[in-house]
Amino acid sequence: MASPTEEQSPDDTLTYMELAIKQAKLALDCLEVPVGCVILKGGKVIAAGRNRTNKTRNATRHAEMEAIDVLLEKWQQKDGLSQLEVNEKFSKCTLYVTCEPCIMCAAALSIVGVQEVYFGCTNDKFGGCGSILSLHSSSSIPSHNGGSGGSEVVRPKGFKCTGGIMASEAVSLFRSFYEQGNPNAPKPHRPLLAPPDNALNNLSVKEEKESQHVRHFS
Amino acid sequence: MNTWQILHVPDKPPIPPHQQPTVNVLASVIEPKLANTIIRRLNQISPLEILRHVKRIQKKHVEGGKIKLLVILCVAGNGENESNSIPEGVQQLINSYQLSPFITKVCQYAATSKEDWEEQCKLWPTSFHPPTYNVDGIGRFSEEDSHSVFDFMQLTLKMARSGDGLIVNAAVIVDPSVNQIIASACDQTCSLYSSKPESCIRNCTKQPEVYSAHPDSSVVADHVNLSSNGSHDELKQRHIGASCLNPWHWAQQKLHTSSSSWHPLRHASIVAIESSAARDGHLFPGFGHDGVDSIQCSSTSIPTKRQKTNSTNAVSGDKLNAHTEGLPSISARPYLCTGYDIYLVWEPCAMCAMALVHQRIRRIFYAFPNPHAGALGSVHRLQEEKRLNHHYAVFRVVLPKELLDRDEVARTSENDKSAITGCQ
Repeated sequence: MASPTEEQSPDDTLTYMELAIKQAKLALDCLEVPVGCVILKGGKVIAAGRNRTNKTRNATRHAEMEAIDVLLEKWQQKDGLSQLEVNEKFSKCTLYVTCEPCIMCAAALSIVGVQEVYFGCTNDKFGGCGSILSLHSSSSIPSHNGGSGGSEVVRPKGFKCTGGIMASEAVSLFRSFYEQGNPNAPKPHRPLLAPPDNALNNLSVKEEKESQHVRHFS
Repeated sequence: MNTWQILHVPDKPPIPPHQQPTVNVLASVIEPKLANTIIRRLNQISPLEILRHVKRIQKKHVEGGKIKLLVILCVAGNGENESNSIPEGVQQLINSYQLSPFITKVCQYAATSKEDWEEQCKLWPTSFHPPTYNVDGIGRFSEEDSHSVFDFMQLTLKMARSGDGLIVNAAVIVDPSVNQIIASACDQTCSLYSSKPESCIRNCTKQPEVYSAHPDSSVVADHVNLSSNGSHDELKQRHIGASCLNPWHWAQQKLHTSSSSWHPLRHASIVAIESSAARDGHLFPGFGHDGVDSIQCSSTSIPTKRQKTNSTNAVSGDKLNAHTEGLPSISARPYLCTGYDIYLVWEPCAMCAMALVHQRIRRIFYAFPNPHAGALGSVHRLQEEKRLNHHYAVFRVVLPKELLDRDEVARTSENDKSAITGCQ
């Protein structure tokens, strides 16, 4: 396994993304939109998550939220750590997720304070790490002074973000999902129209071009 | 302000009245007695299609009580060589009446506020139609609707007072078609109020039964008396600890006792969504998510599925009141929170605002803006993102001064805007 603090080698990156894709496949088997993720700390996988929006009927139960909850449960309930200690643990974590975190998940990752995110395909409908908003880049958010009121406003936190890792694998999973049909998609507004190509989508994704297989976000 | 107000928070950030975009037009002074003839001609040869809000003619009073009439001939290009862009008919008109055209500016877009309009008229008169808040057909507020909005907002404010000297954010999800509360929650970032859920159930209309499922099961049914004038005001110092105001603050919270639990992401909206999802599971158990239904559904070809859906829709109106073993019929089941509204004390942060997009909320009402982290106008403006697959309308509910003075949450938020603290 990779040494805890050093940069990942490209091989490791692919190995971890494979694990995230495995999670996405599990989601697909459960008729869920296939997104999966793993969280690493010190070169070890410490949590995994997959999309569970259909089963829970809760459209916020994305893979990232599931994995974050696994860690919060473990560190708080089992290990009895304090907020500060948990925050510190998150700040040493790297997330691998098959699709660019949506705006909600990107905000959540910033709130818990992860160090780094690698994602597969971009998400041009909801993406919060470059596609629609850039919540990973703390400089994109205007900073404020807390004023003289004594209690200060804590600044938004960014995280390092790299996209395009095994993007085509992630996209082909989405394809298989939409081919089998999303039984929980909203009922069509105009049933007589021919379905648009993503009529059954909860999610729209864009495949990265071959030439920019790995895309860096600062 | 002494009355309740519902303000639409528009998709586009407001432009200062004096910075509205303008376009160049070709105008000319005309003889008042020729006005009718010239206007009639111009309307034929040079209709101002893209400037419907601009008045064609303007009257100016000059010294000696005389009147000068100015008329817009046509839209002028922004290029230097104007003569080329004058339509032939207009050029003929200029020649036959010996007009001396000049370039002037008019505002490009119709005014959306009285202030905009007043500023526009300094350039060239325009017409102004005050907005009716008819946002995509879902935002028109009758007096009755406004009253329910104010009632639900007051209830939300009431919920925001937690027991331990802290004011938190509160969220109430409502089905406005029957004025029924679907779910309600307060922030649970500091401690999960599992023993004492801050939830209230209230029903505006006289529905026989209000249903609310709470994951924690111990739901307090509290028929709130809205005319209560805050008799609990004998309180100690209150602090604003609304999670959305300062989402990154959780790690600095000093509170850490073994009895309390915390979760940095359990903001009021997130908890309310979870609660509405649990309610759906309760009301419509086993409906097509993990069981046989979905498998059948997924093996059905798309056209057949669509037909099926269509026929279901056709009868759903009649079936709305049909109950099976006391439960609403499947056809009455909305997709997630489609058609529902949410009331929040504070403008939501990016995480919550996006969660509400995912859960298909129809309208958001909040009382106070969130200057450092708000995602619906303050820092970000998610409602303007056309690329998202769902859009809600956003409203700010302005509280009357009387209530601001009286209500503890309102008073604290107004007086102590900078005091954003953690648990204790």
